[in-house]
Amino acid sequence: MSLAELSARRGVRLGGLALVAVLAVGTTLVAAFDVPLERIVTVGFVNRALLAASPIALAAIGGLYAEKSGVFNIGLEGFMIFGAVTAAAALYGLGGTDPTQWHVWAAVVTAVAFSVLLTAGYAVLLIRYKADQIVAGLAVWFMGLGFAPFAASLIWGTVRSPGLTRVTQYSLPYLGEVPVVGPILFQQSPFVVITAVVVVAAWVVLYRTRYGYWIQAAGDNPEALDTAGVNVNRVRYATVIFSGVMAGLGGAVLLAHAGNFIGTGDTMVDGRGWIAIVAYLFGNYNPLGAAAAALLFGGLDMLQVQFQTADIAVSGRLMGLAPYIGVIVVLTVWGKTRMPASVGEPYETEE
Amino acid sequence: MSDGASDPGRVRTALDRAADRILDASVYERVGIAVGSTGLALLIGLVIVALAGYDPLRFATQLVVGSFGSERAFARTLQFTTLFILAGVAVAIAFRAGVFNIGVQGQLIVGGIACVLAIVWLAPYVPDGRIGGTGLVAVGLFASVVAGGLYAALPGALKAYYGANEIITTIMLNFVAIGVVGWAVDGPLRPDDARSVRTEYLPDNVGFPQLLFEYPSFSLVGLGLALVVVVAISVVATRTSFGYDMMTSGYQLRAATYSGVDARRMIVQTMTLSGMVAGLVGAVFAIMVQGYFIDPSGLGTYGFDAIAVSLLAANNPIGVVPAALLFGALDSASSHVQIHSEVPVQLIDGIVGLVVLFVAAPELFRMIAERTGLGGDRR
Repeated sequence: MSLAELSARRGVRLGGLALVAVLAVGTTLVAAFDVPLERIVTVGFVNRALLAASPIALAAIGGLYAEKSGVFNIGLEGFMIFGAVTAAAALYGLGGTDPTQWHVWAAVVTAVAFSVLLTAGYAVLLIRYKADQIVAGLAVWFMGLGFAPFAASLIWGTVRSPGLTRVTQYSLPYLGEVPVVGPILFQQSPFVVITAVVVVAAWVVLYRTRYGYWIQAAGDNPEALDTAGVNVNRVRYATVIFSGVMAGLGGAVLLAHAGNFIGTGDTMVDGRGWIAIVAYLFGNYNPLGAAAAALLFGGLDMLQVQFQTADIAVSGRLMGLAPYIGVIVVLTVWGKTRMPASVGEPYETEE
Repeated sequence: MSDGASDPGRVRTALDRAADRILDASVYERVGIAVGSTGLALLIGLVIVALAGYDPLRFATQLVVGSFGSERAFARTLQFTTLFILAGVAVAIAFRAGVFNIGVQGQLIVGGIACVLAIVWLAPYVPDGRIGGTGLVAVGLFASVVAGGLYAALPGALKAYYGANEIITTIMLNFVAIGVVGWAVDGPLRPDDARSVRTEYLPDNVGFPQLLFEYPSFSLVGLGLALVVVVAISVVATRTSFGYDMMTSGYQLRAATYSGVDARRMIVQTMTLSGMVAGLVGAVFAIMVQGYFIDPSGLGTYGFDAIAVSLLAANNPIGVVPAALLFGALDSASSHVQIHSEVPVQLIDGIVGLVVLFVAAPELFRMIAERTGLGGDRR
């Protein structure tokens, strides 16, 4: 336990260091391009960062649960792609090119339902048939990269969907007009709020409920959990399915925020599932930390918009690389996280 | 198999070893898993074709016609096979050593652009004609190997000395390579008169000589180069102490450290070697196939499919050759399907994903074999 505490404390220090580094780089950039910071960090920027962060945070929460229980779900990216394309297909199927808000919610629910089926099969491969977790996860990604544009081509004739619709932001009367806080809290995408609720709930369940302790034990000491009479593999089935569902929901939310499906290149998910993995590593497997990291990456992703509006002449394409480089920096400074002890090892009940 | 052919004693031992291998049940098993995975994935693909309302038999025929049906199709198959052999070997080097280099795509992009730049910059100082051209090809290959190696050494060092998970860093570096090279090809490297996004053309005297095939994007010299790399890497892997250390540090880290191997340096060296071969893919693509470099987001996904190639070959450099032929045929068929079939061509990428999924779960096939009694006397 003391080792865990030590590494956690060291982790906090390293995390602080990384944040300081990011801030330093930011400040230097701002100074070098001679731009007042207030033109970069605006209310609009915070909102865009929250929108960009929510799919990443959702997938990160899922991946975190799976890994806590001892299964490395490296297929998050693939499940996000499947979630996005399923939501787009459902949205189009229900409402054509002019869907209503009810259709948006129905599409998200459809994507989640489909994710349950998909990840149930994946969980059986991983747990029952002891598939190599890394290779199977990569396979899910490849399947997403192939089948999602394939499905899009079948439906729309091209790998891109036509413009469908976005989820509308709710807006509370009066409160929404409060400066700064109003537009962020009271005029917001409902999915940002749902993400926040999921994050807090995930923290409470993991650290404050008996089931959360089972999940942690399944990853750290499965034998003890087995001895205590809890079925380790049943816990793992639950977390793997949960992780896929969260990633699928993340993909659906990404679509609901974007309003149309893009299947070219690495699809519209474009590495967000991988970033989600780094987000929960950076958050040291703590849901709150993972969400904060997701927000950091979301912010990096949206920097290019800010640079454009602030008239800074940096290629949009190069600025778009900021989150990926941020991920590498974070992993380098923060690489040695304390993984659950038996991640990646199939568990066989001793009878 | 008999690389030390002059010495009869060595030939004998090599033959013995080959015989041992053929008799080894686990090789049977691996071939079985590879064939089973591919077959099952193709079958599912055909079912999907049928469900989508197309004729699966016609689609299957088009796959065969598109890959082996004419001299042109066959040459195209060999063109893709060449790239897949090299990329597959690059992946196999790393995977065999327990390092997951998912960054072959990025490394081949960096290698390819380095090759093109080196050749274009040096061309004015080199005499025209065949000798100058050959020299430029050599320089281009060298530049790609160096650039690919360095681009892979970075995540290797980050893993070895900072514990950064190489799966994620290499994937991120793929995005970075696509972004930066894509920006450069559309910006500083784009000639003023270019109508599409591309670099300058390679000089006319740069290229592999056409032998036998008249298909402009394939040369037997390229395939020969790939096969030489296969032999060289398998010799290094199985006959040298470096290769032995590489394997053991991948699978028996503690044993390797105990016997005096610096495991961290080994990780960096493995990644570098893997990246060097990956860089070569980019050079062969630029010299043999394209003749210039394009926006890498529009390049084929050789680096990703190579993961499937390597896994199918159980990460064995020799086994990569037939696996690469299979994927070369699939890619070649894609080009055909794209034009001659209604079925969206992305289906083939999905089938590749299914192949990888089934390769990941050998237990599935053991179970099928046991249930159906096809597996013989295993267990």
